Amino acid sequence: MTTEWTIVVCVKQVPDADEVSIDPQTGTLNRADAAAVMNKPDLNAVEAALALRDEVGGEVIAVTMGPPWADEVLQTAVGLGADDGVLLTDKAFAGSDTWPTSLALARTAEELDADVVICGEESTDSSTGQVPPGMAAHNGWAQLTYVEDLEPRPEDGELVAKRDVEGGYERVAASLPVVVAYEFGENEPRVAGLHRKIYAETEFEPRTWSAADIGVEDEVGLDVSPTQVGGMDTADPVERERERVETPEELFEAMAEDVDRLRGEVTADD
Amino acid sequence: MTDVDPDDYSDVWVFVEVHGDEVASVSWELLSEGRRLADEKGEDLVALVIGEDVTEIAEEAVAYGADRALVADDPVFEPYRADPYGEQFRHLVEEYKPDVALIGGTHTGRDFAGRVAVPTHAGLTADCTELDVDDDGLLLARRPTFGGDAMATIKCETHRPQMATVRPGVFDADEPDYDREGEIEETEVVVEEADTLSRVLERSVGDVADITDADVVVAGGAGVEGDFGPIEDLADALDAEVAASRAAVDEGWIEAARQVGQTGKTVRPDLYVAAGISGAVQHLEGMNDSETVVAINSDPNAPIFEHADYGIVGDLFEVCPALAEMIREETRPEVTA
Repeated sequence: MTTEWTIVVCVKQVPDADEVSIDPQTGTLNRADAAAVMNKPDLNAVEAALALRDEVGGEVIAVTMGPPWADEVLQTAVGLGADDGVLLTDKAFAGSDTWPTSLALARTAEELDADVVICGEESTDSSTGQVPPGMAAHNGWAQLTYVEDLEPRPEDGELVAKRDVEGGYERVAASLPVVVAYEFGENEPRVAGLHRKIYAETEFEPRTWSAADIGVEDEVGLDVSPTQVGGMDTADPVERERERVETPEELFEAMAEDVDRLRGEVTADD
Repeated sequence: MTDVDPDDYSDVWVFVEVHGDEVASVSWELLSEGRRLADEKGEDLVALVIGEDVTEIAEEAVAYGADRALVADDPVFEPYRADPYGEQFRHLVEEYKPDVALIGGTHTGRDFAGRVAVPTHAGLTADCTELDVDDDGLLLARRPTFGGDAMATIKCETHRPQMATVRPGVFDADEPDYDREGEIEETEVVVEEADTLSRVLERSVGDVADITDADVVVAGGAGVEGDFGPIEDLADALDAEVAASRAAVDEGWIEAARQVGQTGKTVRPDLYVAAGISGAVQHLEGMNDSETVVAINSDPNAPIFEHADYGIVGDLFEVCPALAEMIREETRPEVTA
């Protein structure tokens, strides 16, 4: 048994949240306006993948699914130190919700013979967090979500993770292969080295796979997605006074009008 | 992978999240909302209770509104792990064919939901802030859209079950009625320890900050720039809970349990003070039910002012301490004991 690991890291190109604008007519997002960047939580996933490779040995392969120009996020990952990249791109993928998306990524991980798959906690544009457990379920693999720290045990074929659970943590040992969702902000992503960055942007070419290449052409896209957007409307606004005040004193007076405890009315149970 | 006939599916399920002998409070909140949806659909509300020695919890689920409880009781289910829970859930869905399944949006609930939606080919919508059913009994799951002030309604017409996760505090739990009667059914356990893919080596869980029941909440956002001191000081003066927007939590300035918003907690205090929070719709969804809202922000164009009763354009590092001092002055008891 080889003790070197094949580590697949899933990354996604998303609109830069700081630059997104809203169409005032429809209330929907003008995605075209915003620069496309790597989903921020994925930077933690890339870092975790590289750190794992540094410790265990093996290779890191970045995978993304998206339009042809999504190869930019693979360049980012390779610039940071990933060894290779796979771009899943095909019109057949258009409109996929998390069910087919996780299927395509799961098949890709299988095709690459992954020991460990690492994803970011969730994407900033749809924030479901459903793709990592979905991938694990499609392949019948173990899953570790909300991971704060990883402890590889290659000699046992296991990956131990410290998971953030409500009110504390747990440490879980999972058999390989395993899908990890790394918690946002839990590590410090490295900075790309200049030479590696130049290589990624000039020489590196990702492998490009279609839906048929991974045998999912009939199982992806809008038509087979279980969920559909049934409509968009504006959030019901709550009626508010919307009164502007100039000084903290005025603010205090205004608040005291509404809030009993600010009027010095000390009740029996206070 | 064919579409299913929705007519074969009925009932509203709620996943009761059990940790040892504790139940995540969001489970009771979802039983109350599930009760409403089941009544509208004219169907049963079913509590799904998976764990070890959980009969009493199943009885409590009936008190919280369930018509029936389906129980899978086995040591393999304690503590929670995704793969045995997933296998058991798949079996139960095939056996009982639920139309709707609601799951709390905790870390455990989201880990579970993402796992089980795949083998059942369910439609799963994350972090809903409103649920309803249409005239045909179809679930309408509403959630805010990315970056906008719009709400999207997600539907699942051709697959079952229709699943949704909901964060804690979005719905209120009704008082339990221990005279309610309901059927408790033990189901076949289809998972064996030898087949599991993971082992829990250690679990350390303490008290979680609970901001959902606070009467007064003081929340800080990106504008605090790493220093929650003024927020904590004002909260102390108001005897309030400290909360935060997602931006502040993502920066690591404050614990995630104190996050207000679509992907955090929903609060309904008498007074909500938002300092240095711009007011994205995701945040508003978590505090819109507050009685009185006060906004402190240095940006006069911050959307939060449109959603506040009283707003002041100013530096929170000056406004908060000034306000805290006035409050302490005013509320100081006149008679000392």
